[in-house]
Amino acid sequence: MITVKQLTKVYQSGKISFTALKEVSVAIEKGEFVAVMGPSGSGKSTFLNILGCLDRPTSGSYFLDNSEVSLLNEDELARVRNQKIGFVFQTFNLLPRLNILRNVELPMIYAGAPAKERRQRAQEVLNQVGLLEWAGHRPPEISGGERQRVAIARALVNQPAVILADEPTGNLDSRASTEVMTIFKKLHRQGTTIVLVTHEQEIAAYAKRILFFRDGQLIKEEIISVPPEVNNR
Amino acid sequence: MNFIEGLRLALESLWVNKMRSSLTILGVVIGIAAVITVVAVGQGGQAVLMAELQKIGTNIFAISVNWQEGEPLGEHDFTYQDIAVIKELVPEITYLAPTNYISAVVRGPKDKKPAQVIGTEADYAQIANVKVVKGRFLSQRPGTTRAVVVLDQALAEEIFGRLDPVGKRVTINNRPVQVIGLTKEEGGFLGIQTIKRIYVPLSFAQDISGQRIIQQMEGIVANREKISAAMAKAVIVLERRHNVKDRYKAISLEEQMKIAGKITGIITLIIGAVAGISLLVGGIGVMNIMLVSVTERTREIGIRLALGARRKDILKQFLIEAIVLCLAGGLLGIIIGAGGSMLVARLAKWPPLISFGTVLIAFAFSAAIGIFFGLYPAGRAAKMNPIEALRQE
Repeated sequence: MITVKQLTKVYQSGKISFTALKEVSVAIEKGEFVAVMGPSGSGKSTFLNILGCLDRPTSGSYFLDNSEVSLLNEDELARVRNQKIGFVFQTFNLLPRLNILRNVELPMIYAGAPAKERRQRAQEVLNQVGLLEWAGHRPPEISGGERQRVAIARALVNQPAVILADEPTGNLDSRASTEVMTIFKKLHRQGTTIVLVTHEQEIAAYAKRILFFRDGQLIKEEIISVPPEVNNR
Repeated sequence: MNFIEGLRLALESLWVNKMRSSLTILGVVIGIAAVITVVAVGQGGQAVLMAELQKIGTNIFAISVNWQEGEPLGEHDFTYQDIAVIKELVPEITYLAPTNYISAVVRGPKDKKPAQVIGTEADYAQIANVKVVKGRFLSQRPGTTRAVVVLDQALAEEIFGRLDPVGKRVTINNRPVQVIGLTKEEGGFLGIQTIKRIYVPLSFAQDISGQRIIQQMEGIVANREKISAAMAKAVIVLERRHNVKDRYKAISLEEQMKIAGKITGIITLIIGAVAGISLLVGGIGVMNIMLVSVTERTREIGIRLALGARRKDILKQFLIEAIVLCLAGGLLGIIIGAGGSMLVARLAKWPPLISFGTVLIAFAFSAAIGIFFGLYPAGRAAKMNPIEALRQE
């Protein structure tokens, strides 16, 4: 599903250069639930941004669904973001002035889907996260946890190859966090590939594999065999 | 993303910022309203001019003598004979009359008034469509020096009061003269109250002015299409009779009016251009607010990019917003402009003319302003880096 080789990202600002990511190689299989951990500045966000095609690596290769992403042009990258990737952000990033249904429809608008199909599919995913009855409301009218669930519905709407979540519970209380993670767990059971960045051990514990980053390098991998329900208690 | 979706997105964001959106379009509203008003009033004026022309008649013409500076009078003057010969040789001309115009004071038993005295003959009634409401018009007797006058009804009332003027005496520049008829003048040109016209026999007019010449001839043709040919023939007849070239000049009323129409057209254009500058200022206002809006919505742009919007989708979205703003401004401007021109028209007493073409041009122009001034802010929006945009609070 995802294969990165020797992925390096160097930020250049005048004469000063900063290596955010250094020769990271990793493969993530279809259906995997992977957590990415590390202190701030460890390069985990850069890693996720590159996986999400929001940023390009300085060197190295990135295969997504068997195609080399680093060779694509801007419009093609936009298409990859639209079709193959579902983003979930720490700050939800919903458009506050659009109602929830419209927010969820948004990726399908850019995919060029007809209105009827959009509506149907958006209602379907909203139902999946249990928020169908809020479809006509605006994001500021619902709680943080609910907003994040809307964001997950939005990420799912185009049936992407992978869900990329950047600290999805970072702005949530523990109860809302559990709600959100339960949805991720469910998605994982249904076969969705998930890559989740977090610095919280309990959240990472929901994943089946944890990648540890430090100073731009992938330093450790850990396979979790204990079911998270047990681990959580 | 198709156009309808783009339009919907644009309307959604504009609707959220109703206050700002309406303030933004104010400049465009004023600009378009100003242009529409100026053009409508101008075109209305021109239409009135043309309608007036139709009323007076498009088949009237005048022939005059082209005097060279310092040349003695006399040799190439028109004569009564000329008029008779032209009428005989140029059958297209149905009526032809000599006309001398003099300004004079006419005094009745009650009051005195300035008037324009026209020295002419019976034919003139047909040419100028003079309406005799009482008594009769001048008779066709070349050279008659009878001291008679046909007065304007309104003027007669002013100088006579309630007396019936027909058969009574008045004086024109202190020469006694008998009133034989009354005419009724309609409205006056472009609704402006003109000085009243009164009619006397040509020779009497010559007596008043002390000049024994015929200033010009005025004539009418039955068929409007033949007017140029008829004028040319008349000029040739005159040139043969007086054995001279390039001395007589014939011009139709229509030509004269067209020249006047052209001048008013140019004036309209100039004022319209000045009004157009305000439209430009309005466009700059739109650009200004669009730039602010793009900066404010950086995060939204980042989100949209992350969700798979291409740069051209973002460009389209902001461009459509600018165009929608300007079109809304244009529409409002057209409505206000229409109202404004009706107001001006009521004051100026002529109908405003808002043609479909004007509205279409105003609309197209507002769209063009939207594109022109929207392109830069939209381009800025489309060039944003998604990661940095998402980081924006």
